[in-house]
Order: sequence, then C-alpha cells, then structure tokens
Amino acid sequence: MTQTQIIDALLAFIAADGATEDEFNSLALKLFVYQFENNLPYRQFSLQRARTPRTTKSWRDIPAVPINVFKDLTLSCCAPEDAERTFMTSGTTMGGIRGKSHHPTLAVYDASMTKNFKQRFMRERETIRMGILFPTEDIMPNSSLAHYLALAVRHFGTPDSNYMLQENGIDFALVFDALERAEATGESYALLGASYSFVHLMDEMQRLGKSFVLPAGSRLFDTGGFKGQSREVGPDDFYNQLSASFGVARRDCINMYGMTELSSQFYDWGNEICPSVKSGPHWIRSRVINPLTGLDVPRGDTGVLVHCDLAHFNIVSTILTEDAGVEVDDGFLLLGRADGAEAQGCSMAVEEFLKAAQA
Amino acid sequence: MTERAGYLPGLAADEVEWRVLRFGRGIETLEIEVPVLSDAQMAALAARVRDAGRHHLKTLSTARIVNIIDQAIARLLDRDDPYRRKAEALLPVVTGYDGEMIRLGLTGYLKTFRKPELNRFLAEDFPNPGILDDFQPIAKGGVARAFGPDILVHIWAGNVPGLPLWSLISGLLVKAGNIGKVPSAEPLFAGWFAQILAEIEPSLADCFAIVWWKGGDIVQEKALLKEAELVLAYGGNESLAAIRSRVPVTTRYLAYGHKISFGMISRAALDVRKATTAAHQAAYDVVRYDQQGCYSPHVFFVERGGKVSPRDFCRYLAHELASFERKYPRRALTIAEAGDVAAWRHQAELKVLSRPEHEIMGDAEGAWSVAYVEGDDDFAPSGLNRTIKIVAVDSLADVASRIAPYKAFLQTVGIAAPPDELYRLADDLGRVGVTRISALGQMTAPEAGWHHDGRFNLLDLVTLTEIEHSAEAVSDSFAPYVD
Repeated sequence: MTQTQIIDALLAFIAADGATEDEFNSLALKLFVYQFENNLPYRQFSLQRARTPRTTKSWRDIPAVPINVFKDLTLSCCAPEDAERTFMTSGTTMGGIRGKSHHPTLAVYDASMTKNFKQRFMRERETIRMGILFPTEDIMPNSSLAHYLALAVRHFGTPDSNYMLQENGIDFALVFDALERAEATGESYALLGASYSFVHLMDEMQRLGKSFVLPAGSRLFDTGGFKGQSREVGPDDFYNQLSASFGVARRDCINMYGMTELSSQFYDWGNEICPSVKSGPHWIRSRVINPLTGLDVPRGDTGVLVHCDLAHFNIVSTILTEDAGVEVDDGFLLLGRADGAEAQGCSMAVEEFLKAAQA
Repeated sequence: MTERAGYLPGLAADEVEWRVLRFGRGIETLEIEVPVLSDAQMAALAARVRDAGRHHLKTLSTARIVNIIDQAIARLLDRDDPYRRKAEALLPVVTGYDGEMIRLGLTGYLKTFRKPELNRFLAEDFPNPGILDDFQPIAKGGVARAFGPDILVHIWAGNVPGLPLWSLISGLLVKAGNIGKVPSAEPLFAGWFAQILAEIEPSLADCFAIVWWKGGDIVQEKALLKEAELVLAYGGNESLAAIRSRVPVTTRYLAYGHKISFGMISRAALDVRKATTAAHQAAYDVVRYDQQGCYSPHVFFVERGGKVSPRDFCRYLAHELASFERKYPRRALTIAEAGDVAAWRHQAELKVLSRPEHEIMGDAEGAWSVAYVEGDDDFAPSGLNRTIKIVAVDSLADVASRIAPYKAFLQTVGIAAPPDELYRLADDLGRVGVTRISALGQMTAPEAGWHHDGRFNLLDLVTLTEIEHSAEAVSDSFAPYVD
C-alpha cells in the first residue's frame, strides 16, 4: 500500500463505529508490511527477531519496539525532513537524548485524538470552557501533548478558553479568576494539564488557603505523572486533593495515558477507584507481557504493556512500553513504571549510574 | 508461618507495635513481624544501649569480645544449631535466592569472622590492638587509647544474606553500643545474631539493639539519628544523601554507596584449559547473589591475542551460565527487575543492528544473558540479575583510562593475569579508584579484614584520646615519690 492508501484506510477505520478482531488484525498486518518495507531499521529489528510479514499472522506477533529504541534509531517510513511535524520526548532520561516520532501528516493523529477525546472526556457535551495548564503549541512545537491540548481547545473549547501557563510558571491569578468566574456564573469548567502542574497549583492554593467548588458538569484532566517536576503524590492522595481543591468528584477527574511514541491515547472513566481501568478506542489494542520472554502473562498477573496503535502508521505501530500493567475486563490497570529497580544489594543499577554520572 | 524480626532489649513484645511484611511465592510464604517503635521507645532503647555499652561492653577486653563473637559465629556455622537451621530455611524465602547458594554463601562468609580472622581484622587497623583496651605508646610520642562511640547507628540496605554482620561485628570490636536498622528486604539475620550474642554472654544483652522502620520514614529515622554518635549507612546515593541531610552536624556519618565492579582476563589466561576455568569462575561471580553485591561484576574485559579469543570466551561463559542456571536457578524477578533486564538486552540487541560484530546470547526465558562488544563501548552497569558484558580489548593496560571517569563508583576487580601484569594493572586501577583486587571466582567473597571501599573498618569508627608526652613528663613532678 502507498502512504496515501494507508492514510485513507486509517481515516475510514477511525471514523467507523468499531472494529472486530479480524478487521483490526487485517489492517495491523497491512501496516506491518508497509512499515517493514519502508522503514529499514524496523525491518532489521524484525529480522533479528526472526519476524517477517510472511511469518506474522496476528497483530500479537508483530515485533514490538521498546520505546528506548526511539532514541537511537530513526524510525520513519518517510524521510524525516518530509514530516509535517516531529514530536519529541522530553528527554528527562537517557542523558537528555530525545526520542522522535515523525508525522508526514497530522490528519490521522488529529482524527484519532478528536474522536477519542470527544467520547472519553467531552462525553455528552460539544464544548466546554477550558483552562490549560500547559504551554501552547507555538512555545513547544515538538511536544505531542502541546499539540493534543491545542486540538482540545480548538475543537472543544469555548472561545473564552485560555492557556494559563506563562514562561515563569502557572499564572495563578488567571487560574483563580477563571475558577471564581465559573463558581459565580455556574458555567461548567474544565481544567486540563500535566499532573505535576496540578500539584504546583494545589500547593499554591494550600498556601493561600484557597479552594473552589466548580459547578456541576465541570471536570479535570491530568496526564503524565510527576516526572520529578513536582513532589510525588500517591494516586489516591492526588485525586482526593483534586476533588477537595476544585469541588469536582473523583469520577469526573479523568486521567489520560499517552506517549509521544503513540498517536492514540487511553483514558479512564474517572478516578473514583485507583488504579483506574484504562482503555483506548477501537484502533488501538494492548497486551500485557513478560518483558523477558515477550509472551503474554497469565490474565490477572502484572506484566509490561505493549500497544498496537494503528494510527501511529508512519513510525511503528507496535511498541513495548516501560509501564507495568494488569489486564482486566474492559482494559488494563496502569501500575507505574516497570523498570528502575534498585539493586537488592549494594550493586549499582543503570538508572542510578546515569543519574550519578550526570551529576 | 510467622517470624519476628528485631532485637529490643528492655521492651516487652506486647508493648511494641508490630507490622507484618510478607515474603515468598506459591506455597512457601513467610510473614515477618517487624517492630514499629514510638519516639519514646526509640529514646529509651538508645539510653539503655548507651548505658549498657558504657558499663559492660567497654569494660571487656578486646580478646574477650573476640571470644564471644567467635562462639556466636561457631553456632551459626553449626548446621544443627536452631538459628542456623532457621537461616537456611527462611532466608531463601525472604530473599528469593537459591537455598544451596545461600547455604554455601553463608558458610564462606561466616568463616571470615572466626577468632583468627577477627584478630586479623584488628591487626589490619591497629598496629597494636591493645590500644582498644588501654593507653599504648604511639609513634609520635605519648600514649593513646581508642574509644568506640557510645551509640553507633547502622542503617543497612539490601537482601544479601548476612551483610549487616560486617559492620555490626566491627562495632562490637571497638566496644560501641550498636543500634542497627534492618532493611525490609531482609529483616531477620541481624536480629538472630543479636539474640545469639545475648545467649552466649547475658551481660551484653543490653549493649545492642536491632530495629526497623519503613525506608524513608523520616520521623523514625530522626528519632534514632539524634541519639547517634556515629552513623554508618548503606544504600543508593539518593537515600544516602537523604540520610545525610538528617544527621546532626556534630555526628559523624560514614556512607557506603552502591558500587560497580568488573573483571579482567589477560591473554595469558586464555589457553583452552585455563580459559575454561576462568569462564567457570567468572560465571560464578555473576551468579552469586545475582549481581546484587557491590563486589559483583558487570563487565569482563577480555584481552585479544590469546589462544581463546574474547568472542570464544563469551561462548564459554554463556555455557557456564547455562549450567549454573540448572544448579542455582536465578531468583524470581519483580516486574521492575525483569523490565531492567529486558531493557539491557534490548539495548544490546539494538547495538548489534549497527555493529554486526557485536553479539548477544541468552536463554529464551531471560535467565541469563551475555553481550559481546568490541571497541570503545561505554562502561556502564549491567541490567543486573545475570546480565554480563564481555568487552574485547587489545590490551588490558588500556582499561584503566576508560574507567577513570567513574572513580567514585568503582570497587572490586577480579583479575586473571600473570604476576607482573597483576601488579602493573593493580597500580593503574588503584589510581583510578579501584579498592579491591581479587581472583576470579572470589569477587563476591572478600577475605577477612578487607578494607571495605578502601577504608578502615575499625579505625574509622574510633576516636583516639592521646596523652601527650608533655603531660606525662610533667605529671612526674606531681607524683608523691617526686625527688
């Protein structure tokens, strides 16, 4: 298939109401052929694992690329300079080397994001007034999250939605104004941002003794965890504090799980119970594997998550994450990182070594 | 099954709050109750240990203390002793290590604390160990006596069985009141040793205590740290830095951070017969405690030009690791540990794509892996848990300059080389921070009296009180027998 055919097929697939296992499988295998043929490093990687399209009959057998590999190899079916946009990881690990995802067009990414966001975050609503605790796309053109949030505002935000993160951090006055106005008018409100930004915001609110009770229909959106950008907060504490600070029930606090190495996202149906069940749209499927053998772990056991995201068509669709998870009905539980174990003795582990060597 | 950890003189079990830690998988499970002390209990414990240390331990001769420790070690070496039996039965469940490996490891380790070895410990640090008992002449003139701290706090880490004995025995030899905090990963052994000591010499029963708190519990930690005269801590740099920030400025703090060790194999050791032996010993160093020790190897530098090439040596090593896996299977890994091993393997596999001369071998289950690399590959820790890298080099003499940037983290080097080369390499390695050189196969079994991380086990714990020559000389003029 050509790139155009792939894009058309994907847009149609995303637009459909759902997909059977066979339909998913069929497109996943076509994409594997496309990526195997047009992406030399991925072909070598697959051959090393003794996998070719000829021997691959199920999306489950498509070689999963560890996300670390994105930092070392150029994984793209198009020439990187032909990409409309390149998203990069934040480079907080691996000595600042950033993984890249090249997108020849953002049409598929955008279609994936908007359809899924509507179903999972907006639900019954068409628009909502939004406050964004993250920089704009202009400031961070290589951030997939900045683009994601720009799409959210553009497609689902009311005209008076705004960004609340300036160069020197959160513009607290702006946030408090918006929240007070929402309280006064009774118009529901959505605050969206990185999880650590919420921690900074709540720390400031605590310092000032402030809290809000947002009107019914209001919701909160956090993503990405804390990444050393704020103090670490346990999930239950985090959502209790969110709920208490903004007067939004925990079931209306939605966490998104996504990554630069994907073009689709996972959501929960609120965080009444942690860890919440995460699930994605019909064009992404996940497995829970033993990272050492690559085989599925018995259902209910903890393993590492593998995602097969058809929308990530130009790079590789199937990636091996560093996230631990458990398969459950209707999705999976996300249990945090599946690496960075400290030695049980006094031996030095890689992560600590890298940190120390950088210090 | 339930076992109680800790050793708390003066505190009745029912006065203490206990928390349960669970260990083991499948049918072999174990619940360990660990004590959670209140601030007041911690303070009372410290007061008791300080007092007993002053009145009992500090009045004993070093020779007597050596005898008591020797008896305690003899009990732990006796396979019929109830404590030894408990250790053999429970430590595999707690740590996950293979039972036979623990049994052999314990025996080898405990043997380094018998009377002759303890005397070696003393002789290593004190030209005249009598200085721990009384004032002794010193080289510059005058006399001096060495005093151990009233309260020596140990904060142990990790699950390598028996590790706490090292510093606990050092503390006893300098007559310190000892309070040790056991790690959640292996909370038992130190407490057993304390109980044995108390059974052997009841007058010492109050001179030490073994406590627990959850790692990072600042309140508990502070409650003990403020009682300490000297703090010994083990762990990663992050936790060591956190502890340091809470140690009062007038309290001395000795930190033992995580380390990285490696091996070197000279071409002289690479004929077919010797290479087989070297590979067996190297594999043993990898397998022992699954590379969890600071002395465990992460890399072997193998010299080109021998009859067996570095690449062939890699196959020898792979073969040995495979047979060790049958004899001493690797412990079950947590998902994070498995993730680290997988990441290490993926990284090595990825290298092969761009450097086809590299190689990666391992079993399908990921129980062990060997990566073969050539050239100027970065020196870095392995993925732990039986992941090892072989680096082919033209000359071992080039290795020291490559590892020089990592001076702060280096510890043991296992070397197979002829004598003149051994000394030449040792000189270069010492300059870049290596503190211990052993034979292959012995990397994980330091000999008695080893200077841990190049420091003095006992000397670092004491303060000297000196009577200067002037005081002695002038005192004569005040003597009743003065002429």
